[in-house]
Amino acid sequence: MYLGIDVGSVSTDIVVLDEKLNVMHKLYLRTKGRPIKAVQEGLYELSKYYKDSDIKAVGTTGSGRYLTKVLVGADIAKNEITAHAIAAINLDREVRTIIEIGGQDSKIITIENGVVTDFAMNTVCAAGTGSFLDRQAERLEIPIEKFGEYALKSKNPVRIAGRCAVFAESDMIHKQQLGYDVSDIIAGLCNALARNFISNVAKGKDIKPKIFFQGGVAANIGMKKAFEEILNMEIYVPEHHDVMGAIGAAILAKEQIEDIGKTSFRGFRIYDMSVKPNTFKCNGCSNMCEIVELKENDINIGYFGDKCGRWSRVAV
Amino acid sequence: MNITFPHLGNTYIAAKVLFEGLGVDYTIPPLSSKKTLEIGCLYSPDDVCLPFKIMIGNYVESIQRGADTVLITGSCGPCRFGEYCELQKKILLSLDKDIKFIVIDEPAKIGIREFLNRLSMVAKDSKLSKAKKIKALSMAVKTINLIDNIEKECRFFAGFEKNKGEFARLLKTVKLEAIEAKGAEKTLKVLEEHYEKLKKIEIDNFKNPIKIGIIGEIYTIIDPLSNMYIEDILMNLGVSTRRTLYPSWWVKNTVLSGLKINFSKIYKESKEYLGLCIGGHARECIGEAILNYKHGFDGLIQIFPVGCMPEIVSKAILPDIERRYGIPILSLVVDEMTGEAGYYTRVEAFLDLIEGRKKLCI
Repeated sequence: MYLGIDVGSVSTDIVVLDEKLNVMHKLYLRTKGRPIKAVQEGLYELSKYYKDSDIKAVGTTGSGRYLTKVLVGADIAKNEITAHAIAAINLDREVRTIIEIGGQDSKIITIENGVVTDFAMNTVCAAGTGSFLDRQAERLEIPIEKFGEYALKSKNPVRIAGRCAVFAESDMIHKQQLGYDVSDIIAGLCNALARNFISNVAKGKDIKPKIFFQGGVAANIGMKKAFEEILNMEIYVPEHHDVMGAIGAAILAKEQIEDIGKTSFRGFRIYDMSVKPNTFKCNGCSNMCEIVELKENDINIGYFGDKCGRWSRVAV
Repeated sequence: MNITFPHLGNTYIAAKVLFEGLGVDYTIPPLSSKKTLEIGCLYSPDDVCLPFKIMIGNYVESIQRGADTVLITGSCGPCRFGEYCELQKKILLSLDKDIKFIVIDEPAKIGIREFLNRLSMVAKDSKLSKAKKIKALSMAVKTINLIDNIEKECRFFAGFEKNKGEFARLLKTVKLEAIEAKGAEKTLKVLEEHYEKLKKIEIDNFKNPIKIGIIGEIYTIIDPLSNMYIEDILMNLGVSTRRTLYPSWWVKNTVLSGLKINFSKIYKESKEYLGLCIGGHARECIGEAILNYKHGFDGLIQIFPVGCMPEIVSKAILPDIERRYGIPILSLVVDEMTGEAGYYTRVEAFLDLIEGRKKLCI
């Protein structure tokens, strides 16, 4: 079995895939700014069902991939763009475009013949990503899971200025004060975010069907509908849309292990180890990289964060 | 008079040779670091381009070490760089630092006579004969050509090396030893010795590494602090990189255009897309994109600072080149606010993309 871990800004997703790459187990946990704790919680959960020897390979992805790689002893740490693409291609060879909206970034990936041909990520602002929607749901006192349903109820979506997260919020408050219906405002917000995505992130990219919509925000049917209306194309939300990154990481780990042979997985036992990161500045050159050192019960288990490999290559 | 200058790649080594050859007092600013950038951001207008801020940081750090004259190159517009010297002078004045500026503009713009006049201002304090001054200048030109060539070859052949890290180590030591060498002649000797060593590093011609061309705004692609050490990172990953815009290229190009005998291939290639100079190095960016494709490169990374007008124009042209030649291009925009995580994620994903294409032989 193959383990995939995606440590993102908002959620930490863990999947277990079988030999045929079917999802056996999936966990969707909140990172809450403590990636080590989130991964440990996930592994504790999984240790009830699996033995160390069941795991043949481990892959990590997401913004916490390097930390997690050292923590769990993963065989590969890959960026989330590649991981999402691999997972989608594996599911359906026909996929040509992936729209992925996660906690704090949104991406578009275009694919031709099963190979990534182009991609883009949001650069200037996080408007339209998961954490922004989360915050708005909280402000409107609507559970985030119900956000999409509200949007679908709307008959006359209002126009919201979606270029910037702060201004979008002021515009929403303004529309609320004018007395617009909440569902019209939510639908307007979904439209604004989809429009913003197409004109900013997807600027200059060829969007061709079949289109996959992945990431936590894909659970929002309001966003799906908004994209379908703007693009005038059908959008597919895969069953495991929320953990596609983790699935990709597990698949990449499987491919990696075919090359290197044996996994370096440190076992499920790390869930009750006290692991502490410690940062320091390297004075090796003018780069002054901030190095992170991971310590488990005061024993060093690895370094990362350097640009030259001086520390991360240190065998521990 | 104690001359300083802003950092631009390896120019500090050539400047050292020049000033030591002339026997003029000089101060090399500490290599640009996060602290330099912090100082620069503190005193610069917020909207100005990143190079401006790093340069201000360089000046302030040099002035603290005793410099009183700044030597920079100009361009007389049309991009913002043409106004740098005036604005920087005013900023330093407002900090109660009355610093003299010597601006070396292109001879094509200010005329050969004025150009030579400004050059002679640099050597004003030198007691040497004219012939010796010219010798010092020619040694400096030789230095910049040599060190840039070493860097170019290290970065290109890094993908082919048999023992990983040899070129990176050589590049690091040559710069350290060159700056520590005493006197102009010894510095040149250090460079020559390393160039010989470089030729002896074993390469594997059967390797097929990813080859990437670095294009974009001249300062940000040369200065490692602004582009977050992208060339070093690619080198560590075993990627071969090629970049034409080195300080030595600039020197050659400036002199040739002053003599009106510049028939560079770059301009021939870019003519179809950009017939005119729109400031900065937009034409070079386009021309280089096409030339890199013709040299069989796998992908291109364009880097430029936020708000760089010429590069925004070339960024708009690049998708056309991407489609026409089928070469993937990644545009990265940098300033002091650029987040590292997103930046490296893009670069990593771009390398994966190229590797995927290579496997399928697209």
